[in-house]
Amino acid sequence: MNDEHTIETPKEKQNRHKAMEAIAVLNSLKEDFKSPIKSMDYFYDLFEKVYCRHEPLHEGKTKIGTMCIQIPSEIIYALDGVPIRLCNGFYTDDEIGSDLMPSKSCPLVKATVGLFASDNFTDKPDITFSPTTCDQKTKAGAIIGSLGHTIIDVGFPRTKESEESRHYWRESVKHFAVELSKFQGKKLTRTNLESAIKKVGYAQSLYHKLTDFRKNKIVPILGVDMFLVTNAFFFDKIDGWISAVEKLVAELEQRVIEGVNVVGKASPRIVYTGSPPIFPNYKIPLIIEESDAIIVADETCSSNRMFNDMVAVDEWNLYDMMDSISDKYLKACTCPIFTQNNDRIRRIIQLVRSYKGDGVIYQAFAGCQVYEMEQRSVLAAMEREGIPILYIESDYSPSQQGQLTTRVEAFIESLKNRKRMKK
Amino acid sequence: MKYFVGIDIGSTAIKISVADENKNLIGHKISASGSMFYKYAQEALTELLRELGIDEKEVVYTVATGYGRKLFKEADENISEITANAIGAQQAAKEYGEIKTIINIGGQDSKAISLDAEGNVVNFAMNDRCAAGTGKFLDVVAMNLEIGVDELSDYHFKSKGTPLSISSTCAVFAESEIIGLLGNGHSVEDIISGVHYSIAKRIVKLVKRVGVKENVYFDGGPALNGGLVSAIENELGHKIYVPKHPQITTSYGAAVLACDAFFSESES
Repeated sequence: MNDEHTIETPKEKQNRHKAMEAIAVLNSLKEDFKSPIKSMDYFYDLFEKVYCRHEPLHEGKTKIGTMCIQIPSEIIYALDGVPIRLCNGFYTDDEIGSDLMPSKSCPLVKATVGLFASDNFTDKPDITFSPTTCDQKTKAGAIIGSLGHTIIDVGFPRTKESEESRHYWRESVKHFAVELSKFQGKKLTRTNLESAIKKVGYAQSLYHKLTDFRKNKIVPILGVDMFLVTNAFFFDKIDGWISAVEKLVAELEQRVIEGVNVVGKASPRIVYTGSPPIFPNYKIPLIIEESDAIIVADETCSSNRMFNDMVAVDEWNLYDMMDSISDKYLKACTCPIFTQNNDRIRRIIQLVRSYKGDGVIYQAFAGCQVYEMEQRSVLAAMEREGIPILYIESDYSPSQQGQLTTRVEAFIESLKNRKRMKK
Repeated sequence: MKYFVGIDIGSTAIKISVADENKNLIGHKISASGSMFYKYAQEALTELLRELGIDEKEVVYTVATGYGRKLFKEADENISEITANAIGAQQAAKEYGEIKTIINIGGQDSKAISLDAEGNVVNFAMNDRCAAGTGKFLDVVAMNLEIGVDELSDYHFKSKGTPLSISSTCAVFAESEIIGLLGNGHSVEDIISGVHYSIAKRIVKLVKRVGVKENVYFDGGPALNGGLVSAIENELGHKIYVPKHPQITTSYGAAVLACDAFFSESES
């Protein structure tokens, strides 16, 4: 019986592992909750196509890899590229990357490095830009470069209040635009940049429509579905994404009229913050929503931080637009890499207020130092405000599921109790 | 004629092997451990000897191994199942090649054993948690799916979709996961291949702890399951050798050891 079957190649094995991770999460999204949304099928199918069947989406297009949220997709679209954000949520790739990174590093960075190390992309980036945000991403860029991939650093400041930082970052963005323009053999013009800003801006406005629904008492969409939608923006064709979200908005409008609630009336409303849940690492969001709570808002770079703030243009001249783009990616950013990051605390409190959150769940990836460090100030601020908060450290391994569930459930039960007491 | 008996009393089955003076396997028997394994072991041995036409007096040395080895007082000696497994694998794979790594999945535990060039055990690792990913686990899965354990392999190779991973390998929790998957209309084939891959991933982690050196030998009851064999090969990235009678390697090792012990005692 030993000789009947051929053995998988390492790439086939990696693909199977990723398909197994992906399908398990997609099945949970599709099957574990009441009142599924029809127009979510576009997104379920998209992730299945890319991560289970490994079918490329962008054949014939130039794919521009981005290592972090700070690389302006507006400029990439203006120059006819497809942005592919390489922040990675696969445990399979995390394990591969572990061989190249220190053992206590961030699983997201390890997974990105692992994907480059295996050189097994569904849509392989032709060139990658790496903003020097956190230490681990910065150094990971060097590792990826040493593996023979084309990767270019884009200098990013660690303080955002100063005028020097602002100037430095504006220069970095120009430098990035020049590099990409050379690579693409195409000039950045007033016209192509304006239309790219408007297109991305329109996508953002759709996101705002979606999140507005979550301010309602009756919430028509789950937080895990929202994460999937925003996550799709990492790699989907922008036009496909836009028309799918338009349909989703229309369906949700209908649901609001019909009063369709995805959870129970007493289900606690959670604001989610910290390390980004990136498909298929929806471990904590799934535990939360399978424990009869609902994520009504988030403060993460895979979702809210990516869409919330718009590019604010004064005059539609090329250089004005460039500065406006730069400012959006620096000034509005609430990443914990910044020295002072009171903006993030303010943002969380504002989300709790406007989305009527009952509590905050703060997840930090074990190995993500900046999120682990900022936990102290965020917890203190929430205590001052009287907002219950749960801090959880986790990684991509599937092993601690049971313990995590118990902690999350206990927190959610305490929120329910508080709600009952208030009444 | 002199005969040597190795008896392996495991958690789910009693395995007995009989070897001749040249260490050739001349007969074996597998029976359920049941509730009184001492009694059953004796009965099974008597029966096997009768089947082989061997007089009890011709059995000159008996070695017991396995969890229940200390209960079998008639044995001249008893040894751990790790050592017996190593010796048995070396002997059983003689014609195939030199065995450097052994994977053993038993009824209630799983092991990885690493051997040196002389066939000595240099390192081994065992599963540290309950029945996760052992033969018992496969029994529970088959029972839930209402099929026989011997059918698991056929279903595995018929799986067309992505194998559905079972996140908990705890036999109790996995049961409810499987029922959930079935309830949502997933195919039995994809569930089974998912179960096999979940076990394979665990066992390959265990093997990596002792280091993977070729050739790799796989024994224990679950080695009869071709689907599981293929899953382990894929996870490991190379072929593994499954002996003709994967369940009796350890008892055969005990019989081989009995032979060695007898002749070294009579020499001294």
